[in-house]
Amino acid sequence: MLRMADISRERCRTGIEGLDHILNGGIPRGNTVLITGSCGTGKTTLSLEFLVHGALWGERSMYISVTEAPEKLVENMINYEFFDKKLITEKKLILVDLQEIYVKLGLEKLEFTLEDVNILVSQIVKMVKELGVRRLVIDSITSICYRLTSKEQIREFILHLGKELSDLGCTTLLVSELLPSSQGYSQYGVEEAIADGIILLGNMERRGDLLRTLQVIKMRGTTHSRAKYVLDLTSIGVLLAPMLKGGSVEVR
Amino acid sequence: MSVPSMIVDKLSEMPPASSLALYIDVNSYFDALRAIVDIYATKNDMYVFYISSTIPSRNIVSIFELLGIETSRVFFVDTISHLMPVETEYSDKFLYIESPTMLENIMLKIEYLLRKYRDKRAIVVLDSVNSMAIHNDLKILSEFLHIFVTSLRNWEAYMVIISLKEQTTQEIRTMLNFVTDDTLEVGEG
Repeated sequence: MLRMADISRERCRTGIEGLDHILNGGIPRGNTVLITGSCGTGKTTLSLEFLVHGALWGERSMYISVTEAPEKLVENMINYEFFDKKLITEKKLILVDLQEIYVKLGLEKLEFTLEDVNILVSQIVKMVKELGVRRLVIDSITSICYRLTSKEQIREFILHLGKELSDLGCTTLLVSELLPSSQGYSQYGVEEAIADGIILLGNMERRGDLLRTLQVIKMRGTTHSRAKYVLDLTSIGVLLAPMLKGGSVEVR
Repeated sequence: MSVPSMIVDKLSEMPPASSLALYIDVNSYFDALRAIVDIYATKNDMYVFYISSTIPSRNIVSIFELLGIETSRVFFVDTISHLMPVETEYSDKFLYIESPTMLENIMLKIEYLLRKYRDKRAIVVLDSVNSMAIHNDLKILSEFLHIFVTSLRNWEAYMVIISLKEQTTQEIRTMLNFVTDDTLEVGEG
């Protein structure tokens, strides 16, 4: 049965049926969600699928990449049976290399000041507003936070960015890299507290088998399952199955 | 009545989204495969999603060819080949899982096939619960079958779980009674 929290907020369907089911219909529109996990757990794949579905449904989607060249991302997306290259040529799906933004803004430095942070946020918000972006992925937020010198700056950056994007009705996924030894859900410990939602991707060991897992830790604006699911990355997208309760050991 | 006829009749009387525990003796194995894969699935124009945990999928294909069974509508989820040093071919026809203990991945591969090949109805065959029980604790296997059979109902898919009588313990029988809608015993013993 749907509760008030579920029906009062418009949903941004991820297009990943299992995840939309877990979230009782999708991510509440305008939420800023941390997609967090260690390397190889499927963060980028899941985020790209979220954008491709959005673009297919007519919602302009933007991917800001810090680490991967747009050409390489396109190569990855070609494996999707539902991906259409026209989404990119028609600018329904926009791939942006953050390095180019840094150059444009004169932010080619190892450490940012608070002013630099504000300039960067303003630029991202400007692009979202001008292009009418409804879905945004920043991959990864950790790489940006690396240039910030204090937790206060990280807090300011994510709070400011999240607020502005939410006001524009843009649903945002912030990809966060976790070290295998990390405690908590983010590298700096600040990101998880500020984000509206946390989707944790991980590895689970069971008797020598390594399973990819997904768990929604929190999501403001909706009731959701907090159970752990096993995921498979396929050519028709991310598929999820409930994790069996059989003595697994978490391996990040 | 012959073994294939018994199996085909039983499947024919079951409503869509039903599950069947099929107890067979070793001598009825090939007849059972012919009944499900060839006669029943062909007659009803269905896909067969075959979970192999006893014999590698390539060997099953060889058996089918020997029996003259047409395999174009059969897709394998092979849980056993990766445990052995055998050559594997990657395509939708042969989906491999690293081990029969990766139960969630079996569900995910079958879901992948169900989503991708939705133009016909499907029958999912688990061959066999006995070999799955060698690799898995019975408690987690019961949990798996319960969730799996339930999810297949949503897809309106039939499911046949093969159990070799000679290897069927009382615990396996109790588990199958719990998770399946119906049972059929064929062959001797």
